[in-house]
Amino acid sequence: MTRFHAVCLATLLAFSGPLWAGSLEAYVATQAGTPVGDAAVVVEPIPGFVPGNRAMAAIEQRDRELNPYLTIVQKGTAIEFPNRDPFKHHLYSFSPAKTFEIKLYAGKPVQPIVFDKAGEVALGCNVHDWMEAYVLVVDSPYFAKTASNGRAVIANVPPGRYRLRLWHPRQKKELPPREIGIGAAPAKLDLVMDVAPRIAKPRPPADSDQY
Amino acid sequence: MFRSLQRRIVIVFVGLLTLVMALILVLVTHNNGRIVDSEMARELEAGTHVFKLLVEQNQRQLETAARVLSADFAFREAIATQDRPTIQSVIRNHGLRIGAQAMMVISPDGQLIADTQHAAAGPRPFPFQSLLSVAESQGKSNGFGQMRDGKLYQIILVPVQAPKLIAWVAIGFLADDKWARDLYGMTGLAVSVVQRSGANSLVLSSSLDGPKRIALPAALRQLPNDSPQALQIADESWQSVRLPLDRDTSVVLQRSIEQAEAPYRSLQKILWSIVLAGIVIFALGSVMLARRIVKPVNQLAAAARRIEAGDYAEPVPSLPPDEIGQLATSFDRMRERVASREQKILKLAYQDTLTGLANRTRLFEAFEQLPANSRGAIAILNLDRFALINNALGHPVGDRLLSEIGSRLSHLLSNTDLVARLWGDEFAFLLADVDREAATRFAESILANLREPVTVDGQRLDVGASLGLALYPQDGHDAATLLRRAEFAMVAAKRQHKNMAFAGDIGDGPQHEQLSLIGEMREAIARQQFLVYYQPKLDLASGKITGAEALIRWRHPERGLIPPIRFIPFAEQTGFIREITPWLLENVIAQTARWQEQGLSIVPSINLSALDLLDPGLIDHVRRLIDAHGLKASRICLEITESALMEDPTLALAHLDQLAALGLKLSIDDYGVGQASLAYLKTLPVHELKIDRAFVDGVADSPRNAAIVQSTIALCHALGLSVVAEGVETSNELDWLASHQCDIAQGYFIARPMPADELPHWIASYGVPETAAAQEDKEGVAEAQ
Repeated sequence: MTRFHAVCLATLLAFSGPLWAGSLEAYVATQAGTPVGDAAVVVEPIPGFVPGNRAMAAIEQRDRELNPYLTIVQKGTAIEFPNRDPFKHHLYSFSPAKTFEIKLYAGKPVQPIVFDKAGEVALGCNVHDWMEAYVLVVDSPYFAKTASNGRAVIANVPPGRYRLRLWHPRQKKELPPREIGIGAAPAKLDLVMDVAPRIAKPRPPADSDQY
Repeated sequence: MFRSLQRRIVIVFVGLLTLVMALILVLVTHNNGRIVDSEMARELEAGTHVFKLLVEQNQRQLETAARVLSADFAFREAIATQDRPTIQSVIRNHGLRIGAQAMMVISPDGQLIADTQHAAAGPRPFPFQSLLSVAESQGKSNGFGQMRDGKLYQIILVPVQAPKLIAWVAIGFLADDKWARDLYGMTGLAVSVVQRSGANSLVLSSSLDGPKRIALPAALRQLPNDSPQALQIADESWQSVRLPLDRDTSVVLQRSIEQAEAPYRSLQKILWSIVLAGIVIFALGSVMLARRIVKPVNQLAAAARRIEAGDYAEPVPSLPPDEIGQLATSFDRMRERVASREQKILKLAYQDTLTGLANRTRLFEAFEQLPANSRGAIAILNLDRFALINNALGHPVGDRLLSEIGSRLSHLLSNTDLVARLWGDEFAFLLADVDREAATRFAESILANLREPVTVDGQRLDVGASLGLALYPQDGHDAATLLRRAEFAMVAAKRQHKNMAFAGDIGDGPQHEQLSLIGEMREAIARQQFLVYYQPKLDLASGKITGAEALIRWRHPERGLIPPIRFIPFAEQTGFIREITPWLLENVIAQTARWQEQGLSIVPSINLSALDLLDPGLIDHVRRLIDAHGLKASRICLEITESALMEDPTLALAHLDQLAALGLKLSIDDYGVGQASLAYLKTLPVHELKIDRAFVDGVADSPRNAAIVQSTIALCHALGLSVVAEGVETSNELDWLASHQCDIAQGYFIARPMPADELPHWIASYGVPETAAAQEDKEGVAEAQ
């Protein structure tokens, strides 16, 4: 405690609006103890005011991959899909939260897509079957995505009662949300979820596309 | 059965071929069985492998098609939007595209969303949950399954991702009989999919049809999982293996053993026909070959049998120039040689080489071949004076004379008769079917013919002959007897100076007597059975008995007195004469010595035979006797016949010279019968010549004989020889002789032969004028004694 906590505290104080704001540090691992990356950790206030945080987000297409794999946005956020590849892509989503289709395009699409409904959205490219990305549209500004070490930190969360949701694109079952209370002090949570391994979908070698 | 060479060849050839073929057949059949078994196993294994590959390949193709379908944007969109009618029509459409007979869309939680098999369905769970669970873990799955229509399908289950799994698509392809037949076409194995239902099996699809398909489930009860086994299905054997598809369903792959065996069976059939054809061809070929070999051998054998039987005439058939042909050629040469040799041997055996006539053996054989109870005659002909000619003119002339005579004789014969040369100058005739008269006519014709002179080397030779005839069956039944009797008859004829004589006329059965006589002669000397008779010889000039011819007599204890003609010829022939003559000489010389002591001056004449004359010991013997009895050699006279001189003239002459040198008086006996000429006799150291009785007989009446005797006397006197006439039987003859200056006479008219002890008395009483003087001499001698 002492030095590390002091630094953390200092950081929290420096970045949070209200001085009393707290933070949540989550560690997500499988039952077996393997850290789970790309897991969305979301806390939603019960009930309460949800502050807006409608920053733009972008999922770019580069090297025939959608990046990032998981994007968590607050409801109403617009996401741009810049195409960095020298050829066209055909993005689509059949997800009920947001069904859209951006037919073969290059460069930046004319308009970003606004995700105005909470839910999960699976994105794919109709011409490159292996390309996939997920957008989790949440009704809260407090969320974070675990890194490959399974850790995620949600900062500046005002103390209060929250509904904690844990989600992963390859989760084996939907985990029921649970209520947590967040105080001034940073909270630490070890979370467990079962995730299917990401199966690399077959993709042809890159140069084959040059033909 | 094996005695015929031909059969043996055929049996060995065909037997060997059959054996070899049988071995080949057994080997091929055995090997075929093994090959079929291993082929079977290999084909089943390979077929199974191919089947698996095909199913897998098919699966991959179906899967690819399914994946293409599942990736179709519109399809995905339809599913994502949960639009059932759209989904239903989409899967129908896409099923058509890829040729699938059944399609289903299943939600990730295993509920049917759409099903081409069952359009108006409410939500139902997917019937092939096991496929689904495999697909959930492996991203896809496939298998076989029976759908609602009861048909078997090959089912592929692939995910529909957008990009997350939004559904499963199951695509079904009918695995029906056509499918099975296609696989059968590619694997060569019968393909059946069976489902176990309770104790029975249900055929879901099969490339088999008809009764086989019906019989399959029952047969399958015996088939375990995974290990191949032969099953009997509808009269056909199938090597079968079961590949399980799932708990109840399995694929049965089968290979028909009959089909696998078929090529080998046809091979075997071909082999059998080759074997049978080969055996037939071989049998025919070996029969032909054996015939070719055996036929000439048989021909040779037939030829050999002919030759064995003595038929040399037919040549051995000429054969192809192989080994047997060479044998045949040699054999034919052998036949010719044997034939010619046999001819030669026959010639030598049956022919007289000099004259070309038959010989004694041939004559005997010819006689043997006469029919029994036949009659006929055997005649023996002996030439007169042949020895003289032979000696005087040489053997070559003699030989040519004989061969000329032989040729003449053979021309005189009829076909049924035979003439043979026995030896020397003696010929024999076998006259078939003749009686005495015919034989006489024949003999006369022969003799008449021989009176013609024979010309040899430009010399005319007069040849006389004597014939003896024996008739059969009267005179004997066998050739030897007849020949002997004919010979006796001939000898008798010669002795009697006749041309011919019949055996029947010169004594009945003399042959036996003579034979026994010859045997008894030896004993006769020891037993003193021989006696010497003396026939006085009258000196015609003085009328005194000056000599006597010593004549041997045999006083046989049973037969009485036997005349010399009855045994002397045989003694001469057998050589026994050489014992008789010394005995005679001894006896006569001793008697002469006794007479001389009594004052009786008699010169005895002793006959010497040819054998005696040639005996070198004779001269010494005579000399010893004379010395021993103190006689003068000139007081002994030896009489020799012309013929005795002719046996060996040189040696005879040498011995005569020696005898003459001793001082012995020598006399030629039987002059006129033989061939000797006076000119020849002149060269001999003889002192006296005795004219044969044939000339003396009737000399007083026969001018011819008289002329001969008269001229002989004259010639003898001219040569300094005294002349003795023998056989004087009448006073006329004696007077004639006395008046023609014959020196000495001998004969029955003067005196018959008499015993020695009678002679002095007889001499004393003989003749008046001489009696006194003789008496005086006798008395004087007696007084002197």
